Amino acid sequence: MSAETEKAIHISNPKNRLPKLATFGIHTMFTIYSLLCIIPLILVIMVSISDETAIVRSGYSFWPSEFSLDAYQFLFKDATAIVRAYGISIAVTLIGTITSMIIIALYAYPISRRDFPHAKFFTFFVFFTMLFNGGLVPWYLVYVQLLDLKNTMLALIVPLLVAAFFVLITRTFFQTTIPQAILESANMDGAGELTIFFKIVLPLSLPVLATVALFQTLTYWNDWFLSLVFITKEANISIQYLMYKTMLNIQYLANNSTAAAAIRAAGGEFKFPSESVRMAMVIVGIGPIVFAYPFFQKYFVKGLTVGAVKG
Amino acid sequence: MRKNKRASYVAAIILTIALIVTACGGNNTKNTGENTSNNKEQTSTNTESKQNNNTEVVTDSELKPYKLSIVYPGPPQKDEALIEEELNKLLTERINATIDLMPIDWGSWDEKVNLMIASREEVDIIFTAQWNGHAMNVGKGAFLELNDLIEQYGQGVLDSQDPAFLEGAKINGKNYGVPTTKELAASGGVVYRKDITDELGIDMTEIKTIEDLDAVYAKVKEAHPELTPLYISSTDNTFNSHFFGNYDFLGDATIPGAIFKDGNDTTVVPIETTDRWLETTRLTHEFFKKGYINADAATSQVSSADAWKAGIVFSAIESLKPGKDEEVAAAAGLSGKLGQIELTNKTIATSETAGSMLGISSTSQDPERAMMFINLLHTDKEVNNLINFGIKDVHYTLNGEIMSKTDRTGDYSPGHAWMFGNQFLNYLWDTEDPEKWEKFKEFNTGAIKSPALGFVFDSEPVKNEVGALANVIKQYQVAIDRGVVNVDDVLDEYIAALKAAGLDTVIAEKQTQFDAFLAGQ
Amino acid sequence: MSTQAVHVDLEQPPRRKAKFIRTVKKYWMFYLMMLPALLVLLLNNYIPMFGIIIAFKNINYTDGILGSPWSGFSNFKYLFMTSDSWVITRNTLLYNSGFIILNLIFPLAFAIMLNEIKNRFLAKMHQTVMFLPYFLSMIVISYLTYAFLSDTNGFFNKTLLPMLNIDPVNWYFTKEVWPYILSMVNTWKSMGYYTVIYMAAIIGIDEEYYEAATIDGASKFKQIFTITIPLLTPIITIMTLLQIGRIFNADFGLFFQVPRESGVLFPVTNVIDTYVYRTFITVGDIGLSSAAGLIQSVVGFTLVFLSNWIVRRIDSDNALF
Repeated sequence: MSAETEKAIHISNPKNRLPKLATFGIHTMFTIYSLLCIIPLILVIMVSISDETAIVRSGYSFWPSEFSLDAYQFLFKDATAIVRAYGISIAVTLIGTITSMIIIALYAYPISRRDFPHAKFFTFFVFFTMLFNGGLVPWYLVYVQLLDLKNTMLALIVPLLVAAFFVLITRTFFQTTIPQAILESANMDGAGELTIFFKIVLPLSLPVLATVALFQTLTYWNDWFLSLVFITKEANISIQYLMYKTMLNIQYLANNSTAAAAIRAAGGEFKFPSESVRMAMVIVGIGPIVFAYPFFQKYFVKGLTVGAVKG
Repeated sequence: MRKNKRASYVAAIILTIALIVTACGGNNTKNTGENTSNNKEQTSTNTESKQNNNTEVVTDSELKPYKLSIVYPGPPQKDEALIEEELNKLLTERINATIDLMPIDWGSWDEKVNLMIASREEVDIIFTAQWNGHAMNVGKGAFLELNDLIEQYGQGVLDSQDPAFLEGAKINGKNYGVPTTKELAASGGVVYRKDITDELGIDMTEIKTIEDLDAVYAKVKEAHPELTPLYISSTDNTFNSHFFGNYDFLGDATIPGAIFKDGNDTTVVPIETTDRWLETTRLTHEFFKKGYINADAATSQVSSADAWKAGIVFSAIESLKPGKDEEVAAAAGLSGKLGQIELTNKTIATSETAGSMLGISSTSQDPERAMMFINLLHTDKEVNNLINFGIKDVHYTLNGEIMSKTDRTGDYSPGHAWMFGNQFLNYLWDTEDPEKWEKFKEFNTGAIKSPALGFVFDSEPVKNEVGALANVIKQYQVAIDRGVVNVDDVLDEYIAALKAAGLDTVIAEKQTQFDAFLAGQ
Repeated sequence: MSTQAVHVDLEQPPRRKAKFIRTVKKYWMFYLMMLPALLVLLLNNYIPMFGIIIAFKNINYTDGILGSPWSGFSNFKYLFMTSDSWVITRNTLLYNSGFIILNLIFPLAFAIMLNEIKNRFLAKMHQTVMFLPYFLSMIVISYLTYAFLSDTNGFFNKTLLPMLNIDPVNWYFTKEVWPYILSMVNTWKSMGYYTVIYMAAIIGIDEEYYEAATIDGASKFKQIFTITIPLLTPIITIMTLLQIGRIFNADFGLFFQVPRESGVLFPVTNVIDTYVYRTFITVGDIGLSSAAGLIQSVVGFTLVFLSNWIVRRIDSDNALF
């Protein structure tokens, strides 16, 4: 329906189209840029199926001289750990994203209302947290000693619930896309604030809600730090941390050469996965989430909101 | 205006609430602090009472069951629970304790241990080492002083260990960690491809100094252009590493100011002003210019271990001990093809004696038991090998003292034998030299002791300077040490930058502390 | 859009307290709605904020954070000690200012153009692909840049430059090129992210504006400047303000991982966060890093306040608070 409306607009207004040459230019540019974005990822995939010796000898290459699936075999040797970590990540991401989307919208709406006298204060209240923080240790103490959330799934969810940045973005969206007139007339009709919010504001705000949901999904999925800090039981870590901790190990030794030398001298051995395994880990870590993206995309199709307003 | 005022009222209210809550939180931390100090007093009175009953032997029946937790770096192992179960059987019998192994990956080690210490989490034993901020953590009150405990419950340590270890691990005359008994000395040298030198007819026993390597590398480069004569990555050792130059940095090697381990001079100098450093650095640059060293030495993160595996390396710089060549070879799949050659004096310094220790956390609820466990690691072959290699006939098979791999070896091979107790108790793999421990003991004798053995610099008074210096050093050192840049081009600039960042203040502070230590000797 | 500014406050202030109560009574539902987020903010952000005092303390774990001795401003000293202070401040500010501009112009242009692609499939595909770099961590990106720039095995030195008959370049030792490399990497990584935000904003614009403009005979180009961009001003303003707030905080991964700690590049790659990190691994004192964090916050706060004040003078509707 909405697509048709859109089509109709364009057909009825042939002027409202770009000249052919400009369209061609835009297409070419986007194609080139898309290549720039996709080529590195292809490189990652190619390295993950390269033979390790070839990598050390001649660096990364788009077409490995020798193919090998060793990296994936090595990773999936312990498939239960990966499956479990996927489970945790999926649960945390789903619960976290939905909860946080609701909480953010609930907070952003009142502070978007210009007639709410305390809006500025509460805007400031959330903005302030973007700038000032007390550092890792006090924050950790709150979660571990005050709330006793160590080794729980809540510890992977709560810290990311209120993303100040998106609260403020959402607020701005509410202010700009929701016609004040609609709110006023609803108010006159005697609708309660909650009804207005759910019946009018939310349906009008699907693009921004999708944006917030998309970014929160990514935030939750990509998070490894909370697992690092709060989870001590190997069985309860997220997939990103499971995959990423190898990188962290490598980085630790790369950045602490004195420590690395001391450990080596003392007889410690580092059994680091090869570069092909590291790249395979990247693929395993981001694989599912890349496929989730198109799901959000349908909310970014122009016309949908227009239809909603009119309907 | 008005609105702002109102807002500020609300702000004030919320701030007060926050403050109250904070204060409570603060009180909590304080309380726990007090609690633990109370506990400490209690335990120390316990210790006293036990000291009074010293004649009575502590028997198992006297001890209440207790669960020990031990935190150490390393990758978590699949069969950890099985090992704990087996350990529990042995430990219940010996000290009526059970155990919770808490391995932490290297990548998160610093972060997690810092948080653990800062949140006063109740754990018993924590791995610590001089290069891992031991002195700093002692300064912050993380570890218990152990001398009395060792006297009482750690006799096995005292009996089996060279006294130089405990002597060399002291901070202000006290021990806060029990060192692992292992090799005591260190020397610098290179590990090289023996099969290549044999092929080219090079006699490596003739090589005594770094300069002598020049001719060897020239030959190798000509005959085997596919090999990098000397492979160094941005994270590997160089000829300027402390064990190679025999620089004793009096603690953390990233803080400038050192003395020579193999000399008598107790004047602290920045190594960048010494002839030894300058000569070595110039030589390295020569090597680099001649193409002996890989061109990407300053940025490559492919460590020599990985490069060995790929078969592109002729030699690499290592801190040597007996069998280092075979250790490297085994990891790289080059068994029997590597040799090693020492190029420096053998020395003993705090970096070795305090290079691997077990400390008892100041939050431990039963420090005595923790010490008993450490004692077992130093004396009890069964406990020691169980924690290091897993269960006999499951994770390895034993033939005399020699282990062979099984299919399940991979499920428990933490590779942390160097952290726990007495390494001379370890069984040996069938790929290792059966004489390894004899050779180690031999190696430990006849080494030169650094004049600063047992001294560790406390950087707290000059932490600002040290912090600024860390950036200057990072900026210049990696490239200079690998010969990538010509030292004569940048030396003046480097030293000027060091001085601007407070080099002289740090050196002076090091000297003062060191002099005080020497005076107390 | 601009009519709502007329509101409340026409009555005189008889008693503030009474007024406050009346507001609360009228808007009680709003407070209830905000409650969950307020709780999280309180726990996750405001209570831990007492940790700011760490910057002024000589921390000792046995005494706890509150019990540790005060140390005045001594933890701040290392930030101002050497000529590095100037270098890291300059780099942080210049890079971040550049990033704010790049992150505005390119994603905005891309979002507008994407919106003009009438082939749904292509538009979706471009949008998805543009988002891919955002999934890669900085460590992986540093591996990838190394694959292109490495001395011995990099694509540039091994394949591209020989083809063009140019001598190989020692990339990690050539500081002139790094401001461009870092800016490109940053834009490349965050392009998809910001584009989505601007896309969402453009979609929110009522189609009727364009219809009317078309009837008036405005060209597409003119429509962009007279309709799209003016209607996006609030979101552009807020995005810029938020980024100004973090202008003293550099993207650590970008500046630490991507240049591979090559010392020669420090004059153009050292920023506040990397400087503090290097200090921290050597000294290990959280007081020092807290001090740096506090300065970053205070500067960011001041700048946002100023910018917000300016914005308010121009159009109070667009101001943050």
